[in-house]
This record gives sequence, structure tokens and C-alpha cells, in this order.
Amino acid sequence: MTSNDSRFIVRRVAVLGAGVMGAQIAAHLVNAGVPVLLFELPAKEGDPAGNAKRAIDGLAKLDPAPLADAALAAHIHPCHYDAHLDALVDCDLVIEAIAERMDWKRDLFIRVAPHLAPHAILASNTSGLSIEALAEALPNALRQRFCGIHFFNPPRYMHLVEIVPTAASDGAMLDALETFLTTSLGKGVIRAKDTPNFIANRVGVFSILAVFHHTQAFGLGFEEVDSLTGTRLGRPKSATYRTADVVGLDTLAHVIGTMERTLPDDPWHPHFRLPAWLQGLVERGQLGQKTRGGIFRKEGRDIHVLDPDTNAYRPASRDIDPAVAEILKVKDPAARFRALRESQHPQARFLWAVTRDMLHYCAHQLAAIADNARDLDLAVRWGFGWKEGPFELWQAAGWREVAGWIADDIAAGRTMAAVPLPAWVLASERTGVHAADGAWSPSAQTSRPRSTLPVYRRQPFPDAVLGESRTYGTTILETDAVRLWTTGDDIGVLSFKSKMHAIGEDVLDGVAQALDAAGRGLEGVVIWQTEPPFSVGANLSGPSAPRADKPKPSGFASMLKKVRREAESAILKAAHRLNVADALMAGRLEKVEGIVARFQETSQSLRYCPFPTVAAVDGMALGGGCEFLMHCDRTVATLESYIGLVEVGVGLVPGGGGCKEMAMRAAVDAKGGDLFAFLRRWFEAAATARVGRSAMEAREIGFLRPSDPIVMHRFELLHVAKAELRALSARGYRPPLPSDAIRVGGRTAAATFRAHLTNLLAGGHISEHDFLIATKLAHVMTGGDVEAGSLVDERWLLDLERETLVALLATERTQARIEHTLKTGKPLRN
Amino acid sequence: MSKQIQDAYIVAAVRTPVGKAPRGMFRQVRPDDLLAHALRTALARTPSLDASAIDDVVVGCAIPEAEQGMNVARIALLLAGLPSSVAGVTVNRFCASGLQAVAMAADRIRLGEADVMIGAGTESMSLIPMGGHHIAFNEAVFRGDEHVGIAYGMGMTAEKVAERWKVSRDDQDAFAVESHRRALAATLEGAFAEEMAPYEIALHEPDLASREVIVKRRVVGHDEGPRDGTTMEALAKLRPAFAAKGSVTAGNSSQTSDGAGTVILASEAAVKRFGLTPLARFVGFAVAGVPPEIMGIGPIHAIPKVLKQTGVSQADLGWIELNEAFAAQSLAVMRELGLDPAIVNPLGGAIALGHPLGATGAIRTATLVHGLRRRRQKYGMVTMCVGTGMGAAGVFEAL
Repeated sequence: MTSNDSRFIVRRVAVLGAGVMGAQIAAHLVNAGVPVLLFELPAKEGDPAGNAKRAIDGLAKLDPAPLADAALAAHIHPCHYDAHLDALVDCDLVIEAIAERMDWKRDLFIRVAPHLAPHAILASNTSGLSIEALAEALPNALRQRFCGIHFFNPPRYMHLVEIVPTAASDGAMLDALETFLTTSLGKGVIRAKDTPNFIANRVGVFSILAVFHHTQAFGLGFEEVDSLTGTRLGRPKSATYRTADVVGLDTLAHVIGTMERTLPDDPWHPHFRLPAWLQGLVERGQLGQKTRGGIFRKEGRDIHVLDPDTNAYRPASRDIDPAVAEILKVKDPAARFRALRESQHPQARFLWAVTRDMLHYCAHQLAAIADNARDLDLAVRWGFGWKEGPFELWQAAGWREVAGWIADDIAAGRTMAAVPLPAWVLASERTGVHAADGAWSPSAQTSRPRSTLPVYRRQPFPDAVLGESRTYGTTILETDAVRLWTTGDDIGVLSFKSKMHAIGEDVLDGVAQALDAAGRGLEGVVIWQTEPPFSVGANLSGPSAPRADKPKPSGFASMLKKVRREAESAILKAAHRLNVADALMAGRLEKVEGIVARFQETSQSLRYCPFPTVAAVDGMALGGGCEFLMHCDRTVATLESYIGLVEVGVGLVPGGGGCKEMAMRAAVDAKGGDLFAFLRRWFEAAATARVGRSAMEAREIGFLRPSDPIVMHRFELLHVAKAELRALSARGYRPPLPSDAIRVGGRTAAATFRAHLTNLLAGGHISEHDFLIATKLAHVMTGGDVEAGSLVDERWLLDLERETLVALLATERTQARIEHTLKTGKPLRN
Repeated sequence: MSKQIQDAYIVAAVRTPVGKAPRGMFRQVRPDDLLAHALRTALARTPSLDASAIDDVVVGCAIPEAEQGMNVARIALLLAGLPSSVAGVTVNRFCASGLQAVAMAADRIRLGEADVMIGAGTESMSLIPMGGHHIAFNEAVFRGDEHVGIAYGMGMTAEKVAERWKVSRDDQDAFAVESHRRALAATLEGAFAEEMAPYEIALHEPDLASREVIVKRRVVGHDEGPRDGTTMEALAKLRPAFAAKGSVTAGNSSQTSDGAGTVILASEAAVKRFGLTPLARFVGFAVAGVPPEIMGIGPIHAIPKVLKQTGVSQADLGWIELNEAFAAQSLAVMRELGLDPAIVNPLGGAIALGHPLGATGAIRTATLVHGLRRRRQKYGMVTMCVGTGMGAAGVFEAL
């Protein structure tokens, strides 16, 4: 590539090595629509491409799924080095992902180099080897097109990719690669320096070693430490030791071995070795999840944990001390750290010690491994799933005070290494590393703003670090539940303020007000949330405003509880009062019906308002959230969107226009042909509360229309959604004409669904109440008790779904389901 | 005794191999082609017969739509090269359709209204799924509880029978193992050779490399269903296919299949006129209804009915082809009527050999007719249960 090439077009990619990472990288490339040649050694027996083929077949068995749609596997072409090297000439990017052996990798580079296209980029997915050393095997001309490209496992889901340039890497080539990884693959790219384990693993693995060290020092159990270092610290649930089991103890041992070998001058080097208990596990082949036993082991239903002193397993029973748990609940990080430090409890002292040593390490290594503090923080967040980066945590807790504490502990000989904190940490004017104008770079001794690479203009609100502005545009209208705002253009962005962006009465009010306001001069409205999910659906429990002082009885459940309590007590009191209870019940249900009607009106207004509406979806869009997006003119969804109509799980049918929408879409798709075939697909999706496991599955089910684009990068979502809205507007937007002749399946289709359900009930696959819900769902979706092929309008279907939802709400079993779900977060099958 | 005026004799009985559905050897083969082939093969076995003497072709088909719709009998007989003067009619009694076709063909002769008839059956469960492409129930089925059995899938009715007649999972699995054992042994010793009409499959496939249509041909002459290594251990691993806590599995149920069979029947006068060899005499046929939700017990009522009607005693029967819709219902029928397991499906049954719904009756008639003759036995029976609650049974006498 020359720097004149303004645009790097990736037609095809080759992945060399079909191991766990190679195959999954290939899978993510086809998720993004990039055809892949997947190379592996020729098989000794049978089909010579059999090794790559088996790796492709194996993708279907991995959980979480590497492929967004199983059929995409057909676009990964199995290859082997003896026959298919000629095909490399058509590849614009070649990613090497073979075993971590310098000699093997060098041999492979020598073998493939003559086959590469002159413009192709060659990149190694090594996680531990030196990129400069690898580059030495390459012909001079190829070195400028070579770099490291470090994906994290599982590559579809982990946001981070580290690009590791060599001194010879061409700058324009790196920019092109970063652009491709960002927009096409949806990854968060960080440029790392060519140091062992790069940024995220260097810090992440050190953090694990620090936990190992202090677990032993404070005499804590492994399960106890996992309880301390998981979600309570803003890290993944699997915390430290379970993560090690999942990753594989041999893999972990390998990474630690690399650090021991390659970092002899690291002041923490004495700690870069396996603890005896871990050495023992690896030697005995107890490697964690893949060998069904490692640090933890399942014994029947119980989890047992290794006792490092005896090498025997014991029940995993130790938990966090309530007092320590209280400390961890303290929101203010400064107060939290102070309390941890002052506590005499070994769990608290452990937590301070691991945090302190991790911060000490990051401060010491920052200059060597990363350009600036933002890069390190984002790398750890994106690569290890931490909520906050190390420096963010430090800065939030008070830079100077924490620095002082660490310095004190260094002086007192409590830290894992005795090196002093770098001078920049202790500089008198320093209050942190993150500021509005950039992040501190100790190697450049200056503050670094964000990259100006054009691709980042597509991210109006990138993943912010502490100190960066998290304000979103200018407010047009704000209620307790929603906010309508713009970024200075004339597109309204509507964001919900409720928890998990659930939709209660207040959100319905807010949406109505926002649409009114937008009608006064805005080009259109994009529904976009500042963070996922899009929406978990109707609020079943109460008011959705997070800071409402006086809860209003607006949620379905609080309403229902009252209804049922009143009805029950009335029944108990006296027979003659039943009429009163009935009336009361009827009165209440009328109110519920009123809310449902408003939900439907809101959905309808999203479709029929005089300007375009676009739903920008990332994460879950369930129930009412799904109904909202189905009514917008367009939905733009990130690949990791999980969309479904899940109402039957709580004993209901979709009531915000979802049933109507399914019936309508089936009729449209049937184009006058066999309607039932189309209805059946929808019915199965709704009756089983099916949630698409990717935007592609949502498209396959039908929640997304073929015209609804899928976006790979979460932070480009709003950019694309606005572009879609502008395109709708540019063609002279008119809302769709109302559908007043929708062909329905009628009583015959309903009976056919019922026949199927009858068998499920008789076979004990579903409960009586499941049967009732599903037959009601069928009734609504087929247009009610009318002849097959009857023509109805939208209101007909909306009335049916509303009446049916209210009828189900009146059943005790549906009420029990809702209550159970609210209490436990899990569905109840009754 | 029946009030017939003349006897109907079977002068040819053939059938295609049976393929597994929906992914077996006949997955892309049309059922009208299978039937035409069976018709041609049967006529080839009776070269002295003047085809224009055939009065009518009665064809059984359980889901007569799409590739086997449009009166498949008439279309296939024309494709088979029969004169246009020969008529054709398609009949449907679900799983008894093929036997029903043979019986209706025989009855036309027995009444003296025809001298040469064909009874046949065809079904592709690969191309036309169980229930057809467009199931459309009558909502009246659900107005009360009394008709809900109509909606029951066949598997669910088998569960009901297993429950009510106390047929254990082990007994069902053992029955299935034996079915496969018998079918494999019979195939190996060539027991199906006389009835078999080997079929040439010719598939037109796009060859994306050469950009041409290539025609792939191969001749198949054996049933695809019998599976070596069908053991109790292997079957025990299967999960219930219909009821969550049930006993009926894919392994102890009949296989879904594709195939066709044809039987030519003639009066004594026609036998003489065309110099035909009578293989067997059609003795009689009866049907009976039972509650739809326990359709599998249909033969319990149909068998005594046909025996009474024909005056043949159960003890006279040397060979019974009892269609193994499910091991559960087969065992319930055998136990209830005291049928000797040794003479029921001696060559294996539908669990191993497959069950192409409407074709099965004609196919198993061919098996029975040749089997009785080979073993020099006199009376034999073809019987089966029928969806929505019926049983059918036909009695044949080998000559």
C-alpha cells in the first residue's frame, strides 16, 4: 500500500491457522460480510482440506456462537498450504493465527510471502511474540505492510483489537487497517507498543498474578476471592479464578511463562511464575473447564474448590464478609478505598493490596507499553470487560491521595515491588491523567487528544473515559422519563431515562410529547439510547423514572396486585360482596386497558407521524421495545442486538401493536399466497418468546426488515441511524398509507395452531396456562373468530390484542408469572 | 360368506424399494414416477395380458396433493404407457389407502363388473410432508372436548395406546430391535427379490463447476430403512419424540418413507383368456372405526370383523403383515388378539422397512403374496391402523 491509496478495499481475507482463534476470527469476518480463506495444514488422511473443514464445522458447537448466522459458515472456504497458496493473491488482508512459536511463524511467513498481492496487508495475531522479531523473517518490501493485530477471545464479542506496528510499518497502511477493523468489524482499536503481551494482557495478567499473590498472603479461599473480585469490583462475573478455569490453566501458564522469559528487567519479575498449586494442576492435567476440573470442580450439584495447601478439593462455601460487602457498596471511590485500607478484615486488606499493586504496576509500565493513559484504560476495559480502567479508578478516587497511599505502602515494603512511583505520578500539579483535552502520555510528556483518523468522525459519542464529556447534545425537551435532544442539526434524538429503558406510562407520555415537539421543525426522530439496552420492554413493576420520589401506581404489576388483593379479600369476605369485587376488578382492568391503548397509540404514532422515525438498536430490544422498533420507518441495529417478543414469558401476548404487526407482515409477505406458512413462522417466534441471538437472526425471524441495516460498530450506530433518517427525508418523506385491508388467517388458521398446541399439551410439553396463552395469541394473530381470508384493518387487530392482553391479565396464573418475574427476574412456568 | 359372483385373483404384485424420508435415496424422486414404474414392472410380469383389458386403476395415496395430487392414478397410468382407455382413480384411507385400493379393485371383479383391475399405492413423504403442505383444521374440532382426538398427532395416539394397554418402553424397543433384525436377515437372504421392482434414479443436478446440468443415474433395489446395529442400548438413548415423559421414540416408531406398489387382479375368465398365473386369491377386506385418540388399536376391531366375514379363523392365518405404525400399538393389537409374534411380520415391519403411508398396503400385499407362496402357506393377512381412528384388514389365500 502506498500513502496515496485513500481507501483500502477488503474484498477477501485469508486467515492462516484454523485453531480456536483463527477459526473464530474467520467467523467474525463473515459476520461482517467478508469472504474468508481459512488455511490449515493439509490433513494426513482423507480430504487434504479436512483440518480447516473440521474447524469450520466446529464453530457451530462453540458457545457463545462465533457466527451471527449459522449459514455464514459457507463463506469460510477451507484451504491448506500445499494446494491453495495461489489463492492468496486475491486477498487484501492476511491474518496469521497459528501456534505461538517464533520458528513456525517465521517459516510460514517465508512460505506465503511470494504469494501475497503487492498491496496486501500481512498481520500476526500473536499475543506474546515480538512483532519486530517476526518482521525480520519478511522480505524488506513486505515489512512496511506488516504489523501485529491482536484479537481477544471470543473475537466476535470482545471489543478490543490491539494493532502493534513495527518501526517499519507504513502509517497509511496502519490507518487503513484501523479503519477496516473499526467500521467493518466493529472493533475498538488501540495501538500498542511492541512489548511482551502488549497492553491489555500485560495489565490483565499482572492483575491475576497480584490476586494470586495476595490470596496466599491473606490466606483467602479461591471462591472467596472470586466473590470479591467479580461484579463487586466492576469486573466480569467469572472474576479471577473462574476466568482462569475458563481460559484454560495451561494457556494462563503459557502467558505467565512468556512474561517470565521476556521481561527479565521488569521489577515485578520475581512474581512472574506459577504458584506451586497452579504448577501442580497443570502437571496433573487439571486444566479447568476443558478438562472438567481445575481450580473449581463440579461434584454432582455442588461446586468444590481446590485447597492449595492440601491439593484436595473442598466444598466452595466461603463468602464475602457482610461488612466488606457494605464497603464495596460505597459509591464514592475515595471513601471506598479509605474504608478498605482502614479495615482490619483480611478480605478488605486484600482488596486494597491487589488494587494498589495493579495501579503501581500500571503507573510504572504506562510509558513503555502504551502511548497514553486512555489507551491503557480502554484496552483493559475492552479486553477484560472491566467497567473502569485502572487510571479512571485511581483518578476518581482522588489522584493525590491514592498516590500518597501507594507511596506509603512502597516505603513500608508492603508492595510486590519496591520501585518508586514514576515522577509524573507525584508531580505536584497532577490531579489525574484524563482531562477534557486528552489523556496523559508519559512517553511524550504531554496530553494526547483522541485520534483524528476520519473513521472516528462516525462516532459522535465514543466510549468515553473519565474526564471526557458525557453530555449529549442540546435538550429540546426533557421529562422525568425521556429526553429529546439534537447535536446541533435538525434530527431529534430521543433517549429514555428509565432503568434498562423500560417503557412505563411516563415513557409513553414522554414519547408522545417528544413526537409533538419534533413536529415543530425537526426533520425526524431517532430513538437511540446512550447505552444499551435499547429497551427491555413494558415496565411491569412501576414508574420508570429512576428518581421519582413518589412512586405512582402506573405499572401493570402494582395495579394487578391491588386488583387481585381486592378481589381475593372480597371473595373471602362474603358471597354477596362478590358483585362488588367484580365491579372493582372491572374498573381496574379498564384502567389497565387504557394504558395498553396508549401503548398502541404510541406505536402507531411512531409509524404515522408526518416525519421519519428510526430506531437505533443496540443490545436487548424485548417486548414493548421490539414493538417500538417494528413501528419505526427504519431500524438500524448493531450486530449484537437481541430482539424478541417475549410477552408470553410473563403470561401475556404482545399488546403494543406487536400482534398486529406480525399479522400484517405475514399478510404482506404472503403476497396473496399461502398466508399460514408466514403466520406460522411468526407464531412460533412469539409463542416461544424467541429472541434473535444477533441482528441477523432478528432479520431471519422478521423483526428486522430486509431494508433495515445492520451496523458492526456500536459507537457508529447513531451516525448510521441519522444517515438513514436523512435518506428517508431526502426522498420527500410521507408516512405510509394506513393498512385497511389486511388478509387474516381467521378461525381455520387459529384452529390449525390449536391442533398443534393440543399435541404439545397432551404430550406434557406445555402447561394448561401455556396452552391458554398460545391459543389466545393465535386468536389475535389470525384476526379473531372470522372466516379465513377475511380483510380487516389495523384497528381491528389492535382491539383484539388489547382485549386479549387484558383478559390474560385477569387470570391468576398470568398475575403469578408477572409477580414471580418481578421478584426473581426469571420466568415462571405455571 | 361374501355375496360375490366370481373370485378375484392376484396375477402380479410388485413394489419399488422403500427409501427413507425426507433425506433418503428418493428424496427428489416424484411419487407419480415411482408409481408409473411399479405399474410398468407389474405389466412386464404379465406379458400376455392385453393392457387395454384393464378396466380401472385404483391408487391409494394418503396425502394426495402436489406431486401426488391431481388424481395421481390417472397421470401415472398414462405416464406408464397404459392406453388412454384405461381409467384411474385415487382413493384415500390414510395408511390403509394401498390396501383399500386393492380391495376396491378386487370388488369390481367380484361383482362381475370388471375382469382386470389394478390396485396400487404411492407416497412420497420426502416431497409431501405428513399432513400436507397446508394443514387447515376446522375450528369445530375444538368446540367441545369430544372431537379433540382428531387433532392428535399419530405419535400422541401411540402414547395413549402405550399408556392404556401398558406397553413398556423396553417392550417397544425390543420389538423394534426384532423388526430390524428380521428385515436385515430377509434382505440378506433375498426374501424381497420376487416382489422388488428396482428403480433407476435419474437426478438432474446443476454442476456449478462445469456450468452444465448433469444427470446422475443409479439403480436401487433394496430398502433403505433396515439399520444394522439397532440394539436395545442404542434405542434406550433416544428421547421420547412426542410426549415429554413418554415411551414412544423415533426408534420404536415406523420410519417416514417413499415408495410405491402395484397389484394386478383378474377374474377367472381373464386368467384363462390371457394365460395368466394366479398367485393368490383375494378373500376379503373389512374396516372398523375406533376413537381417534387411540387410532392404533384399529386392527383389534378390523381383524375379527374380516375373519368373521370371510369365515377364515385366526388359527388358519400363516402370515400376518401388521403395519408397525408404532411398536406400542403393534404390541397392543398382538396382545389383545393373541397374535403369534412368530407369524407377525416375519420379514420385519415398518419400524425397519419404512411406511410410505398410502403405498404401504399395496407394498405389503406384494410381500405377503410372494411370501405365502414361498413358504407354501395358505392364508395370510395385511392389516393396519389408520389415522383419525380406523383399522383395516385384508385376507389373501395363496395359490
